[in-house]
Formats: sequence, structure tokens, C-alpha cells
Amino acid sequence: MRSAWKFFSSVKLAIVLIILITLASVLGTLIPQGRSAAEYSARYGSLASLLNGLRLTRLYQSAWYLGLLLLFAVNTVVCTLSRLGPKWRRAFGPAPETDAKAVASMRTSARFRLPPPLAAAKDRLAGRLKSRRYRLDESVEGQKAVLLARKRRLGWFGSDIVHLGLLVILAGGLTSGIAGRRAELALGEGQMADVPHAAFQVRLDKFETEYYPGGGVKDWKSTVTVIEGGAPVLTRVIEVNEPLRHRGVSFFQQSYGRDWRGARIVLELRKPGDPAYSRTVSLKAGERAAVDDPDITHVAVRQFVPDFVIGEGNRVQSRSEEPNNPAVLVEAWKGEGRIFVGWIFAKFPDFGQGQGTDPMAAMRGKAKAESPEVAVILKDYAAAPFSVLEAASDPGADLIWLGCILVTAGFFLAFYWPPREIRVVLDETQGRVDVTAGGHAAKSREAFQAEFDGMFEQIRRPS
Amino acid sequence: MTESILFTAAFVFYAGALIAGFSSLFARREKWARGGLVLTVIGLALHTAALVLRTAASGHAPFTNMYESLSFLAWSVVVALIVFGRKSRVPRLAPYLMLIAVGLVALASSPLMPKDATPLVPALQSYWLWLHVSVTLLGEAFFAVAFVASLLFLGADTEEKKERLDALAYRAVAVGFPLFTLGGLIFGMVWAYRAWGRYWGWDPKEVWSLITWFVFALYLHTRIVMGWKGRRSAWIAIAGFLAALFTYFGVNYILAGLHSYA
Repeated sequence: MRSAWKFFSSVKLAIVLIILITLASVLGTLIPQGRSAAEYSARYGSLASLLNGLRLTRLYQSAWYLGLLLLFAVNTVVCTLSRLGPKWRRAFGPAPETDAKAVASMRTSARFRLPPPLAAAKDRLAGRLKSRRYRLDESVEGQKAVLLARKRRLGWFGSDIVHLGLLVILAGGLTSGIAGRRAELALGEGQMADVPHAAFQVRLDKFETEYYPGGGVKDWKSTVTVIEGGAPVLTRVIEVNEPLRHRGVSFFQQSYGRDWRGARIVLELRKPGDPAYSRTVSLKAGERAAVDDPDITHVAVRQFVPDFVIGEGNRVQSRSEEPNNPAVLVEAWKGEGRIFVGWIFAKFPDFGQGQGTDPMAAMRGKAKAESPEVAVILKDYAAAPFSVLEAASDPGADLIWLGCILVTAGFFLAFYWPPREIRVVLDETQGRVDVTAGGHAAKSREAFQAEFDGMFEQIRRPS
Repeated sequence: MTESILFTAAFVFYAGALIAGFSSLFARREKWARGGLVLTVIGLALHTAALVLRTAASGHAPFTNMYESLSFLAWSVVVALIVFGRKSRVPRLAPYLMLIAVGLVALASSPLMPKDATPLVPALQSYWLWLHVSVTLLGEAFFAVAFVASLLFLGADTEEKKERLDALAYRAVAVGFPLFTLGGLIFGMVWAYRAWGRYWGWDPKEVWSLITWFVFALYLHTRIVMGWKGRRSAWIAIAGFLAALFTYFGVNYILAGLHSYA
């Protein structure tokens, strides 16, 4: 136990740990974190399994990185505690035994005489020191008196308060990691959702995207109502940078999207043999709709993608959620017989349609946008916007803020609140009082010297 | 338009200060150093006016893209120079620090940096933009002072000069480190929590600011607890500034992440 204490009380250990954590952190920024196994093997080849084995691909969540942080935390606690005792005595403890000789050898010192009696001389000095906000401890023994004057005593503990703050921040991070809950809620206007791990619901009343004149997104605004036990309790607008906090759950505007799976689609049907013929059909993705025509009895939309691209394995995918290349997979029927199946593109009405059972085969053949019986045009498409809110309960966050306040306060104390100490020994002999004063300042010694000289200058002059 | 004229004028005065400073070093003329200081102060006034005009015109804080933040960092370096310049009694500090400031302004003026004030994406619309970026860059400017002092330390010949440069580097870190911690890490966490819903996400920029913080923590601990001074301290301060520079600059171009818009 004692040797463990000794091991952890070493600043050298702290320095080794700081260097190790720094190097590990650098490594973690050079290797992209948290990607898929396929991406790693494409990037690093046979090294990928090694990186994965060493957890370098999820470094900041790995046992060894967290272990280093834990060692660092223990090291910080032990280092701080083992140095606290002497500092505490220095700041708040009783005056140590001292004499004129020891005081005179302090970095800043002065010797002078005052008229007797001892008590009056001591009170004059004490008055001067108190007027400069020094706290005094006095002891009188016969013809000898000692004054110990200290100020800015909290300055001794600046680094300790920083260390405490860091530990609180680490504890906050740990709490967030263990007890933090976050979930994404994708809500369309009018939709309601249970908030995970909470006993209330939220309803999205309204969702707006504001644009700059140039076209860029200015803001997303979700008007949200909190519902408890079936009754609305509050309505607020959530924006980026303006979260809503309710019963320990924070709601952040995370992103937005459009409900393309349920897109409303308008198709125009034509007959190649009859230029005058035109029918418009409105339906939702996944639905089929009857057409009042003996040659085309009904059409169906099997799939809609906003940003059509052919991905791996010749599969149709959407590259993004933006309608950059909207496409729809349409079937047309005459009674029980399918007369058309193919992808229709809003931006390329003449491209990629065809007949047959395999729509991809038609794609490859680049057939015309029609079959002998019917031509289909994607006239219009629309999807309801939805807002993605992040519902996060993060019990660690408050600890983080507390830790930040401690760190800031500690920095202020450590750098800009240097403690000062003055010791004065008074000795009454042969009708006079010999005074020896000595002082010590942890920082800004020139300013201290000026204060010290100024304080005793006035007293030395006979009044 | 006026803003770019003021910015160019500031650049001219800074360059003049740089030339005057180096001339005073090499020709050993005290007068020219004072002239350099006057030019620096005029340049800073013009630069400040340019930043104010840009803020007024764009309606947002003047550090939302690389051009703006480079300009603001240069401004901070000049402010740090004026804070430390005279008190430090290191005549070499001013010209070498101006070299950094002029370099930053030149980089900002390069055609590679788009100068248009663009509307802010939603995540940047917050008063935390002011607090987070300005305090961080100001802290980094003081790291630049420590960097220059440390480089000069490594090249200094007399003990007296060395002692002054060592003390100057420490004092600059004593200002820069709390500012960087507050602006970069603490304000950054508060803002990240408001905008993204998490205070820390191991984003490369976040990690690199932590790395910078660790390097300066190393500087202070080796110095205060273990009594390291001089050469070794100087090397750590140099490494710290380079880490800060990489956090600010390198991460944007080399490592991808959430911070890639600035």
C-alpha cells in the first residue's frame, strides 16, 4: 500500500503519463476512428486487423486508453493529496518557531527600531499589515513578539483546485459514458413520439427551414410541444444552438430530412401511338392506383429514390437525402398483364426505361422511355419534411461544468493570486524595540517588494 | 472595399515595423526600434478598424473562415507583442514576433483564401462563436510569444539574455495557457453541448486542442515541480506552439472532422 502510494505520488509518473496520453491521442487522430471494417481493410490492407486488435480504430473508447486516463487520475489525486498537508500548514497553520536571524535572511527583509513599549510597537505594525489586508497571527512571549502576516492564502491551492476540477471533469465524462442516454427522434409535423427513458412525449407542431437569399440554409426551427400524461405542458421552438431542456432531457436540433419513403408522386401517362392522349395519376410511393383506361388499368410505384445512383452489386441506392436525381420505379398493368416496368428519371425523361421483368436489364439496355403501350413521365414529387431531434439525458454534463468552473478558478488563483507572507520579530531591549521583518511572495516579487517597502517606510519615520 | 484598403494599409505598416525592427537590431539603433513600435501601433489601429468594418458589414464575428481567423490571429499576435513588448526588455522580441504577424497577414491575403464574408451555417450562429474563437486565438498568440522567446533562448549567448528570455517565455505561457484552456477547451465544450448536444466527441480538432493543452501542462509541471528551466523548457514551449498551430491550421487541411468549416 505504502509503495503504491509512493509510486503514484511521483510527478515523474505524471510526466510519463502525459507523454503517453499525448502520443496515443495523436495516433487516434491519424487513424480515422469508428469506421467500418471494410473501410479499414481498403485503407490499411493486412494492417487493418492489427489496428483493430490494438483497438486503434476505437482508441478513445478502448480499455488501454481509458486505463491510461484512470492511472492519470489516480496519479493526480495522490500527487495533490501528498502535497496538500505542507501547503495547508503554510497557509492556515500556526506560526512556526522563528527568530530575528531567520527572518532577516528571507528574500525581502528590513530592520529598524521603534519606540517602546512593545505592545504599542506591535499594534502599529499590525495596523499597517491589516490595512494591506494581511491576516495576522500574533504571539507574545515576555519581551519578544512575533507577527505572522499572510494574504491571498487561497493562492497556495490554485494548482490543487485545477487538479480537483480535472478529476470532476473525468468523473463527469465517466458518468456521461455510463449513464448518458441519447436517441434520435425523427418527427414529421403533427407526429408525436415517446421520449426514450423518460415519462413524457414530444410532438412536432411545425418544422421550418429558413434560407439565406443566396440559397444556403440559415436555420432549422422545430416547434415542439411537451406532453405529459396526455396533456400539453409547454411549447417551445428548438433551433440549432437553442436546445430545449425538460426534466433532465435536452432536445437538440440535429438534422432534418424528407420522408421520401412516403413521397407523393405525380405521373403523366402517354400512349406512343396517340399523341393527344395524356393522363395524370397521383399516388404515394408503394401504392398502386387505378387508371380509367381500358389499355392501362392501373399503375404502381414500387420505389422512389431522391438521389439515384447504382451502388455495389448493381443495387439502386440514394446517394443523399437531397432530390438531386429523383427517380421512381413504375409498373403499368393492363388487367393481369404487366405492360411496363422501369425507372423513370425526373431530370432525364428519355433515359433508362424499358419493359421486362428485370428493371435493371432495361437500365443497361438504355431503352427509350416508353414501351409500345405506354410512356411514363415523372411530373412531380414531394415528401413531407421531418425534423431530427436528439434527445439526450446526460447526467455527466453538470459535473463537466462544475469541473470547468473549478479549473478556471484554479488557474486564476495559480497564476494571478500569488500568496504573500510577512514575518515580523519584535524584541524590546534597553528602552527600544528592535524590529526585523522578512517577506516572501510566490510570484511578482517586484510588486511585493514595493508593497513591503511602502508599508515599513512610513513606520520607520519617527512620528 | 474600405475594409480591404484598411487591411492592406495595416499590412504595409506591419511590414514597415518589421523592417524598422530588424534594422534596429542589425544597425544597433535604438531609435529605429521605437519607430517600429509606432508603426506597429498604427498598423494595429488600422487592422482593428478593418476588423470592425468587416463585423459591421457581415453582421457576424470576424473569424468564421480561414481568411478572417488568420487576420484575427495576426491581430492577436500584435496585441500580445504590445502587452509584452516593452516590459520584457528583450529588443529582439518585437521584430521576430512581427515576422509571424506579417506572415499570417500575408497568408490571409493570399489568393488561396476566399475573402468573401459568407452567411453563417446554423451551427455557427451563436455568441459562443465570439467567446470560443477570440479567446482561443488570443491564447495562441501568447503561445507565439513563448515560441519566439524560446527560439531566441536557444540562440542566445549570454546568461543574462537567457534568463530574461526564459522568464518571458514562462510569463507568456502563464497568460496563454489559461486563455487557451478557457477559450479553446471550456468555451468549446459549452458551445459543442449547445450546438451538437455533446460536450466532447473526440473530433480531431478537439483531440488536438487537448494535445496542445497536455504539452503546456508538461511545460508547467516539469518547470514548477521538477525545476526544469532553460533549454528543455524552451523545447517544450516550441513543441506546444507547433501543436497549437497544427490544431488551428493543420487539422482543417489534413484531418477531417466537424470543425472543417473554419
